Amino acid sequence: MADQLLEQVRDAVEGQIDFEGQRLAELITTVLLGGVGILAFLVGFMSQDIKLALYIGLAGTGLTFLAVVPPWPFYNKNPEGWLPARSAAAGISIDVDGQKVG
Amino acid sequence: MHSVLVRVQNVFGFFTTVAFSVAAVIALSTFIHPQTPSATVALSNVQVVRGRPHYYSYKKEEYAHVKFDMDADLSTLFNWNTKQVFLYLKAVYPSTKAGEPSSEAIIWDAILPGAAAPYNQNHFLHPLPKGTKPPKSRKPKSGESTSPYPRGVLKLKNQRPKYQITDMTGKLQNRTDARLELGWNVQPWVGAQVWTNWQDLGMWKALEGGRSEVFAFPAIGAKKKVDTSTEKGKEGHRLEAGGEQPRRNNV
Repeated sequence: MADQLLEQVRDAVEGQIDFEGQRLAELITTVLLGGVGILAFLVGFMSQDIKLALYIGLAGTGLTFLAVVPPWPFYNKNPEGWLPARSAAAGISIDVDGQKVG
Repeated sequence: MHSVLVRVQNVFGFFTTVAFSVAAVIALSTFIHPQTPSATVALSNVQVVRGRPHYYSYKKEEYAHVKFDMDADLSTLFNWNTKQVFLYLKAVYPSTKAGEPSSEAIIWDAILPGAAAPYNQNHFLHPLPKGTKPPKSRKPKSGESTSPYPRGVLKLKNQRPKYQITDMTGKLQNRTDARLELGWNVQPWVGAQVWTNWQDLGMWKALEGGRSEVFAFPAIGAKKKVDTSTEKGKEGHRLEAGGEQPRRNNV
């Protein structure tokens, strides 16, 4: 019971996502933060207000953290399945470039 | 990017890169903001007195008290990246020994805040022109102008110095070829601090004027310069020179 609970807490804190999700998270980070930087400069320069640029930059960064850090469901759309379990009697067969190793 | 901790590190790491790049571009953007500073500086009065550096000192030094007029338009120094401008006026006079650089001593300075700077009591309060009423006494809000003129415009008449200057040697009377010279530091929010530009740099024009005529420190106790330019001053001088006293109304 306690073990199960601990397992759940660990999963929630670790927040693992699948491989496709990782690629997506990386892309979102780059695009969002880069875009926010450019936007902050342009808006600040147009209005000649450096505080506005600072606040836009910080708000965008906060948004990026919110979008990327939690393990949102759309980062887990392509789960990688485990191989089916085999019984020890069947032996282990490992293929390396078409040759049987084990 | 597989776990929360790795994603936090990744996002924060890229955020620092973006923040640095934006800051660098902001610092560079000030170079396309044209600057055309101009200033007229003139000596209004100079006196030399003997005094001591502090109360218990046995050493006596000569101190110069320099009053000046200044008419400056530094409004173009203020752009979106200007935090404040530190403005100073220095007296520059040649050294007694040939080959040594001339001495410089600051007689007056002021902190001119930029538009986004929060209120600080050390900010320069421009003296009000004669005949204007002082505003209701209250603390000005952040970025609010405390000057009757636009930001960066100064019109000072017979301004008293902040600092009375002395020389390394302690002797200052009868020194000649002195000048008053305006200088500043533009302190930006991000980027490098910039000093007075005496030379054109791209869209930044050099300071126009900014140096006074040559003057000499008078001898201690020297009488004020005789005013012979006006009829009244001339008369007073004539009477004094002839051993008579100018007649005053109150006797």
